[in-house]
This record gives sequence, C-alpha cells and structure tokens, in this order.
Amino acid sequence: MAPEAVLSHLHRADGSATYTHNGYCIIGAVNGPIEVLRRDEMPEEATVEVNVRPAVGVGSPKERHLETLLHNTLRSVILTRSIPRTLVQITLQVRSLPDEDSSTGVSPSLTLLPHLLHTALLALLSASIPLSTTLTAVLIALPSTNTPTASTQLLSPTAIELLRAKSIRSAHVFAFSGEGKMLLNESDGTFSYEEWEEAAEAAAEVCCKEDGGVGLAEGMEVDGREGENLDDWLRSVVRTKVDHEQRWKSAK
Amino acid sequence: MAATTAAAHQQPVHGPALTFPRPIFAAVAPHPFLQAHLSASQPSKAPLRANSRTAHEFRRVGINTGSLTHCNGSAVVRLGNTSAVCGVRAEILHEEHVQGTADFAPSTGNEAEEDLEREREREEIESLRVLVPNVELSTGSTPQHIPGNAPSSFAQTLITRVRSLLLSTSLVRLSDLRILYTPPSNPDDPDAEPEPQLKGYWVLYIDIFYISIDGNAFDAAWIAILAALKNSVIPHAFWDEDLETILCSDDPSEAHPLTLRGLPVPSTFAVFEGKRDWNESGEDEEADWVLSDPDAFEESVCRESVCVVVDCTGGNKGTKDGILKRLEKSGGGVVDRDVMKGLVKRAVDRWQEVETATNAKP
Repeated sequence: MAPEAVLSHLHRADGSATYTHNGYCIIGAVNGPIEVLRRDEMPEEATVEVNVRPAVGVGSPKERHLETLLHNTLRSVILTRSIPRTLVQITLQVRSLPDEDSSTGVSPSLTLLPHLLHTALLALLSASIPLSTTLTAVLIALPSTNTPTASTQLLSPTAIELLRAKSIRSAHVFAFSGEGKMLLNESDGTFSYEEWEEAAEAAAEVCCKEDGGVGLAEGMEVDGREGENLDDWLRSVVRTKVDHEQRWKSAK
Repeated sequence: MAATTAAAHQQPVHGPALTFPRPIFAAVAPHPFLQAHLSASQPSKAPLRANSRTAHEFRRVGINTGSLTHCNGSAVVRLGNTSAVCGVRAEILHEEHVQGTADFAPSTGNEAEEDLEREREREEIESLRVLVPNVELSTGSTPQHIPGNAPSSFAQTLITRVRSLLLSTSLVRLSDLRILYTPPSNPDDPDAEPEPQLKGYWVLYIDIFYISIDGNAFDAAWIAILAALKNSVIPHAFWDEDLETILCSDDPSEAHPLTLRGLPVPSTFAVFEGKRDWNESGEDEEADWVLSDPDAFEESVCRESVCVVVDCTGGNKGTKDGILKRLEKSGGGVVDRDVMKGLVKRAVDRWQEVETATNAKP
C-alpha cells in the first residue's frame, strides 16, 4: 500500500499536505519564508521551526524530541542559506493513529517518525520552499529470533503486523535523501552491526530509486510488494502537483 | 608564507595588523577556525582539534560516587568541562495506589521465555512509571540556557532520550523494585506453600543536574545515571501485618544494592563538514571529520551528530554480536554504512574505558 497524499488543501497556509498511510494520518502546514523573531534571526541562514501536535492532548517532551529530530533533518534538506534572515515554520498535526499504536512493543515515536518526515517534506514541496534534495523514510522491525517468524524483516509494518509479531527485538527508522545518502537513523532494541547493515540495505532498497539493478526487488514481487518504492511514489505525487499547476498551460 | 613575512619586513605596515589572536578568530569565523585546525597539521601527525584532542580522542571520564548524603545513590561525572550530578531517590508506591496490576507472576527462569519476560517487565515499568528521570540545567551552566524559563526543548529532548534508553535497555530489574510479602500460611489451602503477594513498588526518582555543559550532555548524563544506580542501595522494605503498612528497616546491612542488566555506554560523535571550495588547492583530500565526544564549540559548528550505545558486558565485541542498544543519527548525510562501522568500533573502545572508570573503587 503506497501512502496517500493530498497537497495544498489548506488555503491560508503557504503550503500544506495531508498524508495517510497504514492508519497514520497527519496534516502538515508550512509558512515561509516569513519574518523571523529578532531573537531567532540568523544572519546567514533561515531559521527552521517545527511544531508537532499529538493526536490527543498537548505536546509533551516526547514531541519535543521528535521536533528536534525533524528540525535537524529538515535543516539539512532546506536550502537555508538561500533565504537568510527568514523563518520557515512547519506545523504537523497528528490527526489519527491506528488503535494498536500504543501496544506494538515499539516506541511510538519510532512508528510515527517516518510519517512525520514524509508529511513535512510534502508540505515543504507544496509551499515551494527551496530544497537541496528530497527525502524518504521507512520503519524496519526485526522480530525476536525465538518466535516462529524468525529472521524476517518487517518492512514498513502496520501496527497490526507489529502486534502479531509480538516481541520485536529491534526497530529502525531510516531516512534517505534523493541521492541515496542516509540522512537520519534511529535504531532501538538489541541488535548487531550486521543486522543493522542488512536493515539499512533493505531500507535503502525501499526508499531510493534503483539504477536499473534488480537486487532485492525480485524477492519483493513475490510478496506482492511490487513497485513499492518510496522515491517513485514521491515523484508521482510531485508529477500530479505539477500537472495540476500547469493545467492551463498544457490545455490546448 | 616566508615570502609574505619578508615583504612585511621591507615595507613596515601601518595601522592595524592583519592577524588576530586565536579567541577572536574562533569567535569571528568558527567554521574556518576548526577547519584550519584540522587540516593544518603536518602529515606525519594526526590532525588536532581546537581543544588539542585528536579526532578519535574522547575526554577522560571522572566519576565520584556517593557524594550526596540524602540520596539512595549518587554520582558526579566529569567529562572535561561538562559536569553532571545524578541523584537517585527511592520512594514507596503502595499497591492500592496502582491501577489494576494485581496479576503478579513470579519469574519462571525459563531461558526461552526470557525475552518475553523482559518485554513484560519493560511494559510494567513504563506503565507504572517507576523510573522517573529528570534533567535540570543550572543557572550559568551554559550560555544558551536562559534561567527562569520553562525547560528548553534541549532539556526536554535530553529527558526523552534518557527515559527511552532506560526503558529499552531494561537496565533496572523490576524484581529489585518489588516489595513482596509472603504470608505465614496459604489462606486458600493450609497445606500448600504460601505464595508471595505484591505489596508495593519502589519508585526511583533519577535527577540529573548539570553544573556546567561543555558539549556532549547526553553521555555525561547517562554515565552519571549508570554510576549512581550502581551505587544505589535500597532499604529493606517489608509488610507489617499488624500495622497493615509497609515499613523500612533502618539497618544498613539489610539493604540491598540494585543489580543492573549490563552496562550500556553511549558515545556521541559530531560530524564536521569541511568546506571543500574553501580550500583552493582542489586536491582530493579528506574534507569531513568525525569528532569523538564533541565540546560545546564543536557542537555549535557541526550539524550532523551520531550517538552509538553499546553494551559489551558478555565479552563479545564482533560485528555479529548483538551489542548495539541504540543508534541515533541526524542532521546530515556524511555518515553512511561504512563510516558507521568505524564508529561502532570506536564506541566499543570507549565502552572499555567507561567500564574501567565505573568499576574503579574511589
């Protein structure tokens, strides 16, 4: 299941996106470049501000941690030096979570993080903020070796899949740039370097565009996951957006 | 270089000189300052950073345990100019104040069920919140911290990271925190063995207080927690049938220390991205440095940071062994899989250092 995205549907924000995948639904809005508070102004680059609002209640230290991660990652993606002394404000409101999210045995911040990254990027694209590259992210879970479903990586699992696999030994979130550079990694649990490397390889396979290589893709077709390449998905979303914007020009 | 000094000798310069002292260079242009440091040394020697450490060098850990009187355990940890105090205080949580956790199952000791057992324990610790870490930045600990405000997002991020690592490593055993009572006879069946009943929990309040922060606050906090928990002694608590309440023994010989699960040690790295076009020679030289244990100046210049948490308690240090407890990396794309492999090795070496320091008797 590829994620669903609706772009530029909030008319008061400079850019917006609603993203739905695996039961996670997030609304993102971007305002920028706008005037920055004197205190936060930086002479050579833009200030990036990220606000994460949880589905229920007000923000807690957990949301601050997610904001810090998003801020660090997006700051390296946005061309902050081309819009100095301005503010790019990104607000992400979690609209709904799957019911099983709190009982998956994986930290809820890890399951949410890839979706937040995608929403933020889509909203930035919708606001036409200058970016140096795109970004795709995925969650990978490794179940405990004692269980019968041993040594199978769960690629971008749903909350129910995590719940069924019960006893997840380690969970990894990877984010890759358009050129295939690893921008972000959060791994939790108990794992060896080799397991991590395999997970990173599998994540790169899902996130990045392949250069004609076959590799793991053959195995993925067997699982009925053909074409689940996040880079392709992102391109198709952008293509739809550009087609929509150019509809007067292209109509003959 | 020689030519310019000779030229300066021939025609004496009037007005201000074109050189300025080190601290001003660092303040005016921090990025070129660090790059000049890292790339200026002779090829025979390893490049030195502005704090005269090599790129792979960590700061020495200084640990002082048991310095606070009114705590169950405490430690002061110093990493260069970063110093943190950690105090652990245990308070009793009565069973009747806990919502619906009556199902207390003693551990079966089965090897295969250990993972599930740990998972259950982790959930119980998380839902009961028997581990309460808190971070406080003292006034003047760092110039970025403005006193009198709500905890900054830096402090909140730190607490979240500490708390989630405490939970995911299952560092503290729930069996150390349970207060049990074994009645003299089984109420249901007088012939059967009496079963222990759960009467309460110890809640550990783990407070970290920074005296000063000069970079790498997370490592300092975590090492302080490790040292303080290792040093903690929990009084013997028992259920008094007549008073129907939990009492504590004031005899120190009856108190028990906490037995921790392993020794996860974090190592933080900062990635310094050199400006490639700044160096006009155009040679294909190394332009990125991964600095171990960054100080505050380096953290302000570096955008990408990596944190590797390893636990080599079993003695295994290979790439196949499940020694990694956590990997965090954000802010840039320099560290890829190959670089990460080297960082894991550096973290394993660091683990040895910290292990020696925590086990040393003061």
